[in-house]
Amino acid sequence: MSTAAVAVRHRKKPVGPKILSVVRFVGIALVVLAFILPLVWMLTAAFKNNLDIVTPARTFDFEPTLKNFDTVFGAQNFLPFIMNSLIVGVGATVIALFLGVPAAYAIARYKITNATAFVLLARVIPGVSLLIPWYFLFSQVKLVGTFTALILTHIFVTMPLVVAIMTSFFDGLPDELEEAAQIDGSSKVGAFLRVVLPLSVPGLATSAILAFIFSWNNFLFALVLSNQNTRTLPVAISNFTSYAAVDWGGLMAAAVVITIPVMIIALFAQRYVISGLTAGATKG
Amino acid sequence: MITSRRGLRLGVATTLAVALTAGVAACAPSGDSSGDVTELTLIAANSPWTEGLKTLAANYEDETGIKVNLEYYGNEQLNDTLKVKLNAQSSDFDIYAYQVQDVMREFSRNGWLTDMTEYVADDDYNWDDFQSSARDAVTLDDVVYGVPVMTERHVVYYRSDLLEAAGIAVPETLDELEDAAAQLDDPDNGFYGIAMRGAKVPLVTQFSSFLYSYGGDFQDEDGNASVDTPEAIEAAEFYGNLLKEYGPPGATNMGWVEASAIFAQGNAAFYLDADSQAYTFLDASNSAVVDTVAYAAFPEGPAGAHPYNIVPQTVGINAFSEKKDAAWDFIKYVTNEENTKWLLSEATVPVARDSAWADDAATAGFPAGLVEIVRGSSENSVGHDRPQLEQVALAREIVGGPVVAAIEGGDVEAAAKTAQKSFQDLLDGEK
Amino acid sequence: MTSTTTSGSRPVRRRTIGDWIDAHLKWIFTGPAVAFVALLIIFPIGYTIFLSVTDSASSVTRPFEFIGFENYAEWLTDTERFWPAVGRTAYFTLTALGLELVIGLAIAMLLRKTFLGQGLVRVFILLPLVATPVAVGMMWLLIFEPSIGFANVVMKSLGLPPQLWLSGKESALNTLIFIDVWQWTPMIILILLAGLSTLPEEPDEAARVDGANAWQRFRHITLPLLAPTIGAAAILRAIDAMKTFDIIFATKGRTGGSNNEAETLNMLAYNESFGNSQYGSAAALLMLFLTFIIIILATLAILRKKGTRV
Repeated sequence: MSTAAVAVRHRKKPVGPKILSVVRFVGIALVVLAFILPLVWMLTAAFKNNLDIVTPARTFDFEPTLKNFDTVFGAQNFLPFIMNSLIVGVGATVIALFLGVPAAYAIARYKITNATAFVLLARVIPGVSLLIPWYFLFSQVKLVGTFTALILTHIFVTMPLVVAIMTSFFDGLPDELEEAAQIDGSSKVGAFLRVVLPLSVPGLATSAILAFIFSWNNFLFALVLSNQNTRTLPVAISNFTSYAAVDWGGLMAAAVVITIPVMIIALFAQRYVISGLTAGATKG
Repeated sequence: MITSRRGLRLGVATTLAVALTAGVAACAPSGDSSGDVTELTLIAANSPWTEGLKTLAANYEDETGIKVNLEYYGNEQLNDTLKVKLNAQSSDFDIYAYQVQDVMREFSRNGWLTDMTEYVADDDYNWDDFQSSARDAVTLDDVVYGVPVMTERHVVYYRSDLLEAAGIAVPETLDELEDAAAQLDDPDNGFYGIAMRGAKVPLVTQFSSFLYSYGGDFQDEDGNASVDTPEAIEAAEFYGNLLKEYGPPGATNMGWVEASAIFAQGNAAFYLDADSQAYTFLDASNSAVVDTVAYAAFPEGPAGAHPYNIVPQTVGINAFSEKKDAAWDFIKYVTNEENTKWLLSEATVPVARDSAWADDAATAGFPAGLVEIVRGSSENSVGHDRPQLEQVALAREIVGGPVVAAIEGGDVEAAAKTAQKSFQDLLDGEK
Repeated sequence: MTSTTTSGSRPVRRRTIGDWIDAHLKWIFTGPAVAFVALLIIFPIGYTIFLSVTDSASSVTRPFEFIGFENYAEWLTDTERFWPAVGRTAYFTLTALGLELVIGLAIAMLLRKTFLGQGLVRVFILLPLVATPVAVGMMWLLIFEPSIGFANVVMKSLGLPPQLWLSGKESALNTLIFIDVWQWTPMIILILLAGLSTLPEEPDEAARVDGANAWQRFRHITLPLLAPTIGAAAILRAIDAMKTFDIIFATKGRTGGSNNEAETLNMLAYNESFGNSQYGSAAALLMLFLTFIIIILATLAILRKKGTRV
C-alpha cells in the first residue's frame, strides 16, 4: 500500500470516545462474559435457598429470597469483619508501597538483582512453614489478635508484589528523564519524587490494586493471628460451614458482599492503571 | 514539589496507616489479670451445640458476671488453629472443643489437655448420667480429658414414599438394603439407589459400621492392624459395590456435603450417614424431601447390626490456660442436667446425657423416628468409628484405600494387603 | 555532580543531608524493604531447617532426636507421594502459567486502546481475582459436581457427554488448571495493560509508517518492549501457581483427592504438617519444595534473559 494512504489513515485518529469495530466489540464482550459468568451464577445463588442451589433445574427458574443477605448482616454480623479487612488491607497496601517502591527504584537503577531475589523469597516461602514460628514470635510480644500482627504479615505478602511489578516498570523508564532533572538542579531523590513517580502511576495503581486484593483474600495468617475482634472476611466466611450443614446460600451471599468493597476500590484505582496523561509524557 | 494531588493522597494515607497501626497496637488484648476472673475464651467448630452455647453463655454472664468470648471456626480451620496455637503453648484461650477420636490421644500426650478426672467427680455433676460409651470415649488410661457434648449414630435415611410405592419393606439386613437400592436405582433418569461418602478419608467413619457388622474391625484386641481379614475384605467389597452399582457418578470425590445434597434434592432412595444431619433434610429451604424422609436403624450384617455411636464434639480445658477452675465452672454450667435438656429440646443438639434422652418433653423437638433409634442404640453399637491411635489422619488414608479400590472396581484384596502392611507399620512406629 | 549548578540557578543549600542521601540512595531505598523481609523470615527459615533434621512430631515441645538427612532421603526415594507431587506441581504450574500468559497477552492487546466503558470492563475482568478464594472454590465444587452441577447441564445442552470434572482421576488436575486460568488471567491482563500503557509510541508509529502490519508490529516492536513486564508477571504468577492451595483444598480436600490425583507439593506439605503432625518430615519436604521453586524460577530467569537478548 502507498505511503500516502498509510499516512492518511495514520492522521485520522479521532479524539473523542472511540467507536469500536464490531469484531473488537464482540471480542471484548465474550471476554467479559467468560470471566463473569461463573460469578453471575454465584450472584443468583446468593438469592436462592440452599435446595435450589443444588438443583440444576432451578438454575434460572427460582424464587428469589433475601434471606441469605439477612443472615450475612444479621446473624453473622459481617460489617465489623468488613471494617477489619479494610483496615488491614489499607494498612498493608500503603506500607508495602512505602517500603517497596523506593526499593524497586533502586533495584532497577542500580541493577541489584540480589535484592529482588531476596524480597521475592518472602513470596516463595510456603505459608505453612511460617505459621508456627510466627505465631510463637507474635505471642511472645503479645501482638496476637491485633491489627499490627495482621498488617505486618500481610505486608510480607504484598510488598514483594509491589517490588516485582515496580521494578519492571522502572526498568522500562529511560534514564534520560532523571538525568535531565538532575541537570536542572534536582537531587536524585528529588528526581525520583518529581519526575519518575508521576510517570509510574500505572504501575503504582496496579501494584496497589493487586496488593490490596491479596491482603483482602489472605486467609492463612488471619486464621491464627486474629481474634474475634480483628477477624477478617476470609476467616469469617468459614462461619457458614458447620459440623453437619453447609449454608450454601449464606456462603454465596457473603462472597458477594465481600466482593463489593474491593470492586469499589478497584473502580476508583483502575483509572490510574492507564492514564492518558502519563502516556503523553513519555513522548517527550 | 510532589504534585499536590498525589502528595495529599500519600500524606493522608500515611498518617492514617501509621495512626491506625499505632492506635490498635495499643489495644492489644490485656494480659491475664491476677485475682478474679472476668473473662474466658472458648474456641470451637460450628455445630448445633455452639449455636445453643451462645444463649447459655449469655445466661452465664448474667448469673456470674463472667464474660465468655466465643470464637467459632469451620472444622478444618479449628484443627489447624489448635495445632498452631497449642504448639506455641498459647494461653489465648481457656476452653476448646475438639474431635475426641481424632486428637485426644495426640493432644493428651502432647500435654495440651487438662486432666479433668477430679472435676467431673463432683457430686452434683452426675458424671454417670452421661452415656457409658460417651464416657469411655473421653477417658484414656483412666484420665478424663473432656466432657462429651454431642453424640452421633449411624442411621439410614430413606424415602418412605418410594419404598411404599414399590412395596418394599424397610430393610433390616444389609442384603435387603442392597436389593432395595437395586430396585429403586434409575440412573437414566438421574435417580440413584443409594448415596454415601466415597472419598477416601471421609468414608472411613461410615464404612466402620459395615466393617463391624461383618464381624471385623480396624484393629484386633491387641491393637494390631486387621484390615485384611476376610471380614474386612468382604465389608469393603460390599460397601464399594453398593456405590459402584447403585450410587451416583463421581462417588470417590464425595464427602457428606455432596452425598447429602443428592439425597436432599430427592435424587437418592437411601442415604447412610450420621444422624446429626437430620435437620438438613427437615428444612424446606434445604431439602426437597421434608415430608418423605424417614429414618431406620442400621441394618444387620452377617455379624449383626453394629453401627457406631460416637462422640463427635468434646469440650476440654486448655492445659496452658491460667483460669482452669473458672473454665471448669463454665463447662460444668453448660453441661449440667438442666442445660443439657435445654440444648436437646431448644437447640436440637443430640446430647450425651441419658437423662435428657429419657425425658419426653425434651425430645419432643427431635424427629420421632430418630429418638427411638437413639434410645435403642447403646446395646450393640460401637464407640469408635475410626482407627484408634495417635496418627488417625494418616491411618484413615491407609484404611480407606481398599474401599476406594472396591468403588472403582479394582483389586480389593491386594489393596487390603497393602493397607494392612502400611497400617501395621504405622502402629509399630507408635509403640 | 551538583557542582554543575554554576549556571546561575538556585544556590546549593541542602548540601550535607541531600547529598548524603543521594550518595547512599541505593541502601536507603532498599534497606527498609530488605530489613523487613529479613526480620520476619530468619526465624521461620532457621526453624524449618532445624526441624527438618529431626523427627519432631505431634508437638514441637515433645522430645525429638536429630536424624540427619533421613527425612530428606525418605522423601527423595518416595515414588508414591513425593515424585508424583513434583510432577503434578510442574505440570500444573507450567500449563496454567503458559495459558495465562498467552490468553492474558491477547486480551490485554484487545483492551489496550481506549473505548467507551473501558473502566467498567476492567473492573469486571478483575472480579475472578477479587472474589474470595474459599467461596470461589466451593462455587466451582458445586458447578462441577457430576450429578447436580451446572457444568454437566451445559454439556448436555450442547449434546456432549457429561464429564466427571473434579471427581475424575484424570480430569481433576486439568479442571483445576481451568479454574486457575479463569481466576488468575485477570492479574496478568492488569499487569500487562499497565505495562502497555507506558510503552513509547514512536517505534510503533515509525513501523506503521514503514508499512509493517499489525502482527509484525506486535512481534518485533511491542513484544520486546513489553518483555520486562511479561517477565515480572510470569515470575509472580509462577511462584503463586506452585503454591496453589485454596482451590485444591476446597475442591479436593486435604489429601488432594481419594487417589491423590490433585496433590501438589504444597498440599502434601500441608497434609504432612497439619494432618499427620509430622513436623520434622514436613519441614524437610518444605525445604525440598523451596529448592524446587528456586530451580523453576532460575530457569524462568534464564529464559527471560535469553528472550530479551533476541
